[in-house]
Amino acid sequence: MGTDRCAYLSRLRNVDPIPKVWFTLAVLLICVFADSVVVGLFTLAALSVLNIVVGGQRTGDLLHFLKVPLAFLIIGCLTIAIRPIGQAEALWAFRLLGRWRWGITAENLRLGLLVFCKAMGAVSAMYFLSLNTPMTDLTMALERLHVPKLFVELMELIYRFIFLLAGEAGRIKVAQESRLGYRGFRRSMHSMGELLSTVFVRSLHRGNRVFSALESRGYTGSLTTLPGQYTPGRWLYGLAAATAACQLLILIAERRLLP
Amino acid sequence: MMKRSVCKRISLLAAVLALLTIPANAMHIAEGYLPVPWAFGWMAVCVPFVVAGFLSIKKKVALNPRAKVLLAMCGAFAFVLSALKIPSVTGSCSHPTGVGLGAILFGPAATVVLGLIVLLFQALLLAHGGLTTLGANVFSMAIVGPFVSYGLYVLLKKTGCKPALAVFAAAAMGDLATYVTTSIQLGVVYGNFLEYLSIFALTQIPLAIAEGILTVVVFNVLEKYAKEELRDLSVL
Repeated sequence: MGTDRCAYLSRLRNVDPIPKVWFTLAVLLICVFADSVVVGLFTLAALSVLNIVVGGQRTGDLLHFLKVPLAFLIIGCLTIAIRPIGQAEALWAFRLLGRWRWGITAENLRLGLLVFCKAMGAVSAMYFLSLNTPMTDLTMALERLHVPKLFVELMELIYRFIFLLAGEAGRIKVAQESRLGYRGFRRSMHSMGELLSTVFVRSLHRGNRVFSALESRGYTGSLTTLPGQYTPGRWLYGLAAATAACQLLILIAERRLLP
Repeated sequence: MMKRSVCKRISLLAAVLALLTIPANAMHIAEGYLPVPWAFGWMAVCVPFVVAGFLSIKKKVALNPRAKVLLAMCGAFAFVLSALKIPSVTGSCSHPTGVGLGAILFGPAATVVLGLIVLLFQALLLAHGGLTTLGANVFSMAIVGPFVSYGLYVLLKKTGCKPALAVFAAAAMGDLATYVTTSIQLGVVYGNFLEYLSIFALTQIPLAIAEGILTVVVFNVLEKYAKEELRDLSVL
C-alpha cells in the first residue's frame, strides 16, 4: 500500500530510524521556513537524488509518488495566481461572464510559483522519510522519542488492521462487481453501504477475537516487541548538516543577488 | 474578433471541465502549502482537543482493556473507508471523508485521536496531506467536521426527528463543515477565500449529498443486523 513496499525494499531499511526522522525534519523545516523558489527547487532536486542514490529507490517509483500531490498543488497554485484583480495592472486578464475582471498580476504569479516550488521541495523531503522507513520502525522510533505509549500502540495496531480490513473490503468489492453491483447510482449506493457495514461489523468481531487471542497469551495491557537490529546511521547527521548548509547558502545568495 | 471570443469561451469551458475532475482527496492540504506561522498556529489550536481526546481514551482503556483493540479496529476502518471510492452524483467518483460516520459511531473525543493517527498514515503512506500541514488537516477533518456531525445528530435526535434524516443531515453537514473550514484555512493565508469556496463547492456539495445517502444506508444495515455490536461500541 502506497509508500510501504518501497520502504521495505529501501537500502536504508536497516538504518536506525531516528537519524532519518531528524534528517527529514531538518531539511523539511528549512525548506518551509526559507520561503524561496530556489531553495524549494534545490530541495526537490537534492532529496530526489538522495532518495535514488542513497535510498536505492527506482526513478519511476519516485516520479509516481511526486505526482500524487500535484492535483492539489496545481489547483491550489492556479487559484493563487488567477483571481479577481479589479483595476490593477495585469500580465493577462479576462472578464468573467462579461463583468468581473480576473487575471494574473506579477505579484500573484510570483506568490503562486513560490508556493508551488516550496511545497514540492517539502514533499520530496517528506518522501525521504516515508520511502525509506517502514511504518513499524517509525512507530518504535516514536516510542523512543517519548510519544505516549498508548498513542504508539494504537498506531501499531491500526497499521496492522488497515491491511486486514483493506484486503477484506477489496474481496467484497470484487464479489459485488462481478455480480454487477455497481451499475447505476442507486445500486452503487446500496452495494457500497452494504460493503461498509459488513466490513465494520466484521472489524468489531475481529477486534474481539484479537483481544481474546491476546488475553489467552498473557496480555496485560501493552504489546512489547524487541527493537530491530539497526546500524547506527550517524553519518545521516553529517548529511543533514551538509544539505542544510547548502540550503542556507543558496538562501543567502538568493537574498544578496535578488534584492 | 469573433474567433478570439470563441477561443476564450472554449478555453474557459475546458478549465471548468478540468476542475470537475479534482479528486476529493484534494481536501487534504498538501505538505508545505501553508506558510510557517499558519502551519504551527493550527497545530497549536489542535493541541487541547487532542489532549482531551487522548485523556478520555486513556480513561476508557484503563476501565476496559478491550477498548484499545476495538478503537484500533475503528481507526483502521476509518482509513479504509477514506481509501474507497464512492459513486458521486455528478458521475465522477470521489473518496468519502468518513467524518460523519466516525463521529456518530465513536463519538467526537475518540474521533480526534483516531483522526490524527489516520491523517498521519495518509500523509506518510499515501502522500495525502503532510507533516507541517497536519495541524490544519486535523483541525478541519478530525475536529470541526466530527463536532458538527455529532452535535447535529444529538440535537436532531432530541427534537424527535426521523433517525434517517438525522444521520443524513449529520453526515452531509459534517462534510460541508470540513470543506468550508479548509477553504477558510486556505483563504485567510492567500486572501481569496471565495475562490477556494467556489472551486471546492463543485466537488464537495455532490460528495456531501452522496456521503449523506451512503451513511444512511450503512446505518440502516447496521440497525437491522448489528444491534448487539452497536451496543458493544458503547464501551468506547
